[in-house]
Parts: sequence; structure tokens; C-alpha cells
Amino acid sequence: MKKDWLEPINSYVKIELRGDDLEGLINGCLAGGIAIWNIERTGESSVSACLYTRNIKEVRLLLKETKCKFRLLEKNGLPFWAARMWKRNGLLLGLAGFFVVLFLLSNMVWNINVTGANPKTEYQLLKAAKELGIKKGKFIFLLPNVRQLQQRLTNAMDNVTWIGVSLNGTTYNFQVVEKEIPKRKEASSPKHLVAKKDAVIYDMFVEKGQPVVSPHQFVYKGSLLVSGYIGKEGKTKLVPAKGVVWGETWYTTSVTIPLKTDFQTFTGNMITQHKINLFGLKIPIWGWKDGEYKAQEVSENETPLRFWKWTLPVSYIKKEIRETDGVQRVYSESEAIRAGKSMAKKEVRKLLSHDAKIKGEKILRQSVSNGKVNLSMHYQVIENIASEQPILIQQGD
Amino acid sequence: MAKWRQQVTKWLVEKLDLPADAMMDLPRITMIGQLHIYIENHRGVMAFSREELKLRLKQGHLVIKGQDFVIKTILPEEILLEGTIEGVYYDKST
Repeated sequence: MKKDWLEPINSYVKIELRGDDLEGLINGCLAGGIAIWNIERTGESSVSACLYTRNIKEVRLLLKETKCKFRLLEKNGLPFWAARMWKRNGLLLGLAGFFVVLFLLSNMVWNINVTGANPKTEYQLLKAAKELGIKKGKFIFLLPNVRQLQQRLTNAMDNVTWIGVSLNGTTYNFQVVEKEIPKRKEASSPKHLVAKKDAVIYDMFVEKGQPVVSPHQFVYKGSLLVSGYIGKEGKTKLVPAKGVVWGETWYTTSVTIPLKTDFQTFTGNMITQHKINLFGLKIPIWGWKDGEYKAQEVSENETPLRFWKWTLPVSYIKKEIRETDGVQRVYSESEAIRAGKSMAKKEVRKLLSHDAKIKGEKILRQSVSNGKVNLSMHYQVIENIASEQPILIQQGD
Repeated sequence: MAKWRQQVTKWLVEKLDLPADAMMDLPRITMIGQLHIYIENHRGVMAFSREELKLRLKQGHLVIKGQDFVIKTILPEEILLEGTIEGVYYDKST
């Protein structure tokens, strides 16, 4: 049986037909291929029936032929329904507007909480967050995700050990662990200066105290350098010794440099794709080109969309495809040694305080095996070897 | 001639087991209880009221009697009637 499934979508009318030859009219409709349904006898010389509005003109002709008349009873179908609804468009727009606004508000940042920070750090953190775009009223799905935020904020703040970022509904929570920088103690209590490590004294500058060593003298770790006792014997006084003792110290480091190294570098070419994830189905909305690069790195950032307090099964995906370039670096042996030297020097630099100077360097041992250059370096360093040691005053002395 | 042709088709239907409705333009009637009646191969409506539907066939008429008749669908060769069907009668007169 044929049934027009488009019946509710097409507009149709219910009409009353009056006349003597109604059967003739129905047969005429059949012959003319005009769809007619729900025919019901309503009186001696009248029936009601349904017709598509697009067929009305042809039916009129048939009505003339059969000398029948018609009266409109109902207007049905989507176009009529839409037209009726449109009369109440304010209501509809209001309803749609309400849902749109609710949806947008559900995806906004409403609150930013900071815990564990003092007011100064909190202010700095909020400022750093603002630079990343976290402000009240921003859309969450346009912001980087929590992991990235955490990383960037931790990098941006230098007086903070760790920042935990969590997104709880529309609220960002920042949990801060601050660095505790110990205050410098006032050098008021009497102390000696002793050697930090084995060294040969190179130069010394003593502000306060009695130097007990002289340049070119070898000292062991812990030997007394500057005494806190000053004055002539019998009239000694205790002072906090202060000064800088430059000593020559020695460091050895070993580095390994492979002769061939593969590097991954970004070429700067990238494609950004925006997608909507609908029930696990990813629908691209912008960015149609797929990564046609030989080598690429893909990062995907998915933000779930929220409505009121529910997370929708719909999420926004931003996919970035970056072209990478495989570069192979090949060192000759002498180049490898040079690179190893500078690497070793950097390593030693890391161990030293910034006022230390590297006086000389020497290669202790070098060997090439398995495509790698092994290098042992020896460094002579001039650094401050003085460290403070408090003098304990015995009670009742 | 027409008589002879009819004889041949009748013979073909009987001997070759061909569907009679298609070969001889007979109506095919499907009824679902008393609720629906579905007729194929009709040749137009002759009379329609709440209690009776009279259809033209290739040969003769088909009269359906009952109550509260509504023609749900009507197509050039098919018709679906709804209501309470009480009887289906063949009327040989033309």
C-alpha cells in the first residue's frame, strides 16, 4: 500500500465538498492523479476530504466540471503549522534565546578560586592567568585545557613550586604551593669562616676576623680560614667573621657525545582543525585539510560542552597538526670533542655559583666507541670557598 | 472475441498456475477483521456513503456494507476503507 510519508510535511487542507456528483469528483481526482484521502460522508450531499494545497487549482477545475462547491475546514501540515507558530514568534524566540543563553552561561568561567597563596602571590597568579585568558566571563571551550594551563602557569610564576589547576564546573580552582625562601640570618652571632671543599687559596679579602691562611696554601674541607677571634692574646674578642676567600678547586666531568643524532624540528607549517564530537562521532566544522605532511606531530585538545549542570555528549575539539622535519646531525670527531667540551663546561657551570670563574680546562681522557665520543674533562675553578661556622659559646665560661 | 480471450486466460490461469488477479483483472481484497478493507484493481467509485461503498470493477460491481465508512486512501487502482465492515457483495449487473 502506498502511503505518502510526506503528508505531515506538505501542507494540506481539509475541505467540505458539496454537490450531487461527488463520486464523479472522486473518480476525477483519481484519473487526474490528485491525492485525496480521509473521505468521509458528512451529509446527504456533502463529504469531507483531505487534499494537498498544491492540488487545489486542479480540484477547482474538477469542481466546475462536476458542479460541486467546496468549503475550507482545516489547514494542516508543517507550513501552516509554522505560519501559526510564527504568529507567536516572540514566545518561540524567547524559548530559543533562553536555551542559547543557558548554554553559553554554562560554558563560561564564573569564578576563580585561589587557595594556598598569600595575597601577593594570589595577585600575581591572577594576573598571569589573565594573560592566558582566564577571566570571568570567558568561554571555557576557547581556553587551553587544564593540563596546559597548569604547565604554563607554573612556568610563568617563579616564586611558586607548583600550581594545581582544576576546573570544577564553571569554576577554576588554583591550588598553589609557594616556595619558601628562607630569610638571610643577620650575621650577628660570632662565627668562623671554614673551607667548603679542598682547595688552594688563591686570593682572599677579609672584612672582619683574623685570617689564618695565606694564598697558595692548600686547605682541606672544613679547615679554618678566617677566625672569629680578634685582638691580642689575652684580650680576644669574638666577632662574626666576614669575607671572601677565593680558592682554586677542581672538577671533573665526563660527557658522551654521539656522532650521529636525529633531531625533530618543526618547520612552522601547521593545520588547525576544529571539530565537534557528537556522541563519539567527530564532525569537522573548520579545517578540511588533513595532515599531508611526511612527518607530523598531532596535538588534540578536547573541551566538553556543558549545559546547566550536565556535561553534554558533545565536545569541541581543536586539533593541531604540525609538520616536523627530521634532521640528522653528523659530527666529525674533532667537532664532537668541541661540542663535548662546551657541554661539559655548561655542566660545570651549573654546579658553580655565578661569581666563580673557570681558570683552565684539560682533557683527561677521550675515546671513541660505538659511534660515540666519551670525554673526561678536568676544570680548575676559582670560587668562594668560605662558609660560615658559628662559634658555640659555652655557658659559664 | 472478448469471450474467447477470457476463456483463454481462464485456461492459462488454471493450467499454468498463474495469479488470477493479475491475469484476469480481478479485484484483490484484503480485510483486517472488520476494521479495514483494502481493494486493489478497482475501476472507480460509484457510490459512497457512511454505510455503503460501491466500486466499479472490470466486470460488475463490488458493494461493501457496514458503518462509519471513511476512505482512508484512494489511488487509481487501490482503495483503503475504514469503518465497521459487515459484508462484501458482488453485483454482476453492469
